[in-house]
Parts: sequence; C-alpha cells; structure tokens
Amino acid sequence: MEVTVLIQATDEAFKIIEESRNRALDVLNTSVRFTAEAKLLEEKKIQAIFKGAERTKSEVLSFLATFALLFFPLWMPLSGFFDVFHLSIGAGCCALVAYISHDLLFVNVRVGDMRTIVKRFFAYIPWLIYQIYLANIHVLKIVLNPKMPINPAIIRFKTKLDSDISLVTFANSITLTPGTITVEIKEGEYYVHAIDEAVAYDLLYGGEMEDRVAHVFMEAEHVYVQDVLDVARIYGALR
Amino acid sequence: MIITYEDIIIRTLTRVLAPFLQLYALYVIAHGHYSPGGGFQGGVILAASFILMVISFGLDMTRRRLSEKVDIIFLCLGLIIYSGTGALCLALGGNFLDYRELTKLLPVTIAKARALGILFVETGVGFGVMAVMTSLVYDISTGGLPPERR
Repeated sequence: MEVTVLIQATDEAFKIIEESRNRALDVLNTSVRFTAEAKLLEEKKIQAIFKGAERTKSEVLSFLATFALLFFPLWMPLSGFFDVFHLSIGAGCCALVAYISHDLLFVNVRVGDMRTIVKRFFAYIPWLIYQIYLANIHVLKIVLNPKMPINPAIIRFKTKLDSDISLVTFANSITLTPGTITVEIKEGEYYVHAIDEAVAYDLLYGGEMEDRVAHVFMEAEHVYVQDVLDVARIYGALR
Repeated sequence: MIITYEDIIIRTLTRVLAPFLQLYALYVIAHGHYSPGGGFQGGVILAASFILMVISFGLDMTRRRLSEKVDIIFLCLGLIIYSGTGALCLALGGNFLDYRELTKLLPVTIAKARALGILFVETGVGFGVMAVMTSLVYDISTGGLPPERR
C-alpha cells in the first residue's frame, strides 16, 4: 500500500517536473523568438535609415550634378558677365532650377559609366553625320530620277535596346537620316516610315546604327563587334 | 481633360529638355535690362516648361512638382514684388516705379539703381506671368473643378 502511494507520488512529482520543464522551454522559446523578431525589426530600421541616407545622398549628388551642368556650360556663356553680382544671380537661378528638377536629368545612372558614355557619344556623332550625308545623296538620286522610284512603307522591327535614352537616341538618329522617319516606339518595336526598299532593307537587316547606339550606351546583355575590338587591343597590349 | 499617352520619345526628351528650358527662362528674366527679353518673355518660357510637362507627363506628375498652392503663392509673390517696388519708390518721395529714389536706400549710383529696380520689377512680372499661365493650363485641363470633384 505504502509502496504504491510512494510510486504514485514519485510519478506525480516526475510529471510536475516534466510539465514545468516544458513550460520553461516554451517560455524560453517564446523569448528567443521575440528577441529574434526585435532584432529583425532593429535591423530593418537600420537598413531603412541606411537606404534613406543613400537616397538622400543620390539626391544631393544629382542636385550638384544638375547645378554644375546648368551653371558652367549654360549660364556662364549665356550671361557673359563675370562680376560677383551676375554670378550670384546665376548661382541662385541654377540652384532654384536644380532644386525643382534635379530628378529629371539623371535617372538610372550607373555610377562610373557617365564618362565613357559621353566619350562614345561624341565619337558617335561624326559617324552619324557621315551616314546623314550618304542618305542625302541617296534621296537626291531618287528626287532627280524622272521615274521617281519610291515605294513608301511603314516597316516594323524589334529592337534589342532597352534603356529609354538609347531608344530615343536611335529613334532620333533614324529621323535625322533622310528617307526614314520614326513614327512610334511601342512595346520594344519601332514603326518606321521608309521611302524605298533600299532604305527599309538597310534598317531591317543591316542594324549597324542600332549596334553603335547600343555600344554608346553600353547595353549590358549584348556583345558587340566594337566592344570585342576594344578589348582585343587591350589584350594585345597585355600580352 | 488631358489624357496621358505613353510615348517614350516625347517623355525622355521632355525630361532632358525641361531643366535647360527653365534655366533659359531665368536667364531671360535676369538679363532683361541688358539684352532682349524680360519678365514677360521669361515668365512665358518658364510656364512653357511646365506646360510641356503637363502635356507629356500628365497633370498629376506636374502637380507633384509645382502644386496649385505653390502656384498661387508665386502669383501673389510676383504681384507683391512688382507693386512693392513701385510703392517703395512712391514712399521714398518719387513717382510710382521711379527707380531713382532707390539711391536713398542702396549705396549705388542712379544708373545702377535704375537697373536694379528694373531687375526687381522683372522678377515680379516673371513669377506672376509664370503662375498665371500655369494655373490657366491647370484649370483648362481639369475643367476648373476642385480636386475632390474630378
């Protein structure tokens, strides 16, 4: 009798110990979870602060870049007065404009690329002028031909460019070239009005201009002949 | 109503062109007493940059940049600058907009004072014209309705 009571008591005691252990574990687990959540929240907060700081930094950078771009190449030659009064007016005006529209000029800029892009863009312009010259002669021949061999059509082709500035540069290059006019860019497709087949085939199957524009703006997904040539020279020098 | 239309060429070119347009407008305002141009012309160019944004980006995006409230503030500011300069000359003992009297306040010669007075007045005119033009376009494109009834 006493033995069974003793055994029961021991059992009870063990049960109570087990239960308390479980409860303690639960409490511990919960506290750990809460700590982790608190930590996560803190980290998020810190990240948000960093992100905010980064955004502020990029805003300040684009403000300064816009200010410099407006003040030195535009205001100074336009104004022509270099006394303190006019320069301070200019600084005020440039600061106002840069404050209003600092987010317009520099969108999606990849840091470090700007110099290369500007250099390649100025190298692209003479080629474009030569191309315009060639197209002028072509259109001149069509105009002077008494048979007038035109076959106007709107052609549609897919493009491999994707940033908006390169799309616009290519579209305006097409429009500047006589005989072709960009009508629209819709969902990555160009709608171009061409005056005859030769011009249209040049756009559809040639694509040199598109390659060059992609090279200027360093469209990342494609490898172009010019890039390979650039690298080849460096490679040779290295060897 | 002005309906927004997604045209990547127009949008990108507006984005690139607008700051230069605005700075040119301010240049025309600031150099009105030396070269052709002045408050009215500069104000219209400044307004044209905002109208260009309304046409290419839509009304909401432009209003985020220059809200109607700020527009009205600019309008009043322009009027205050203009009439304030005139009234200041009147208070100093001359005629309305008689810039010669500004020499009593500023340590400059009479010719310089006239140039400065014209600069003040032109700034006022420029702000006023810009605000009126922009608010006209806002009103036309919203049908003159307040924001909650559009």
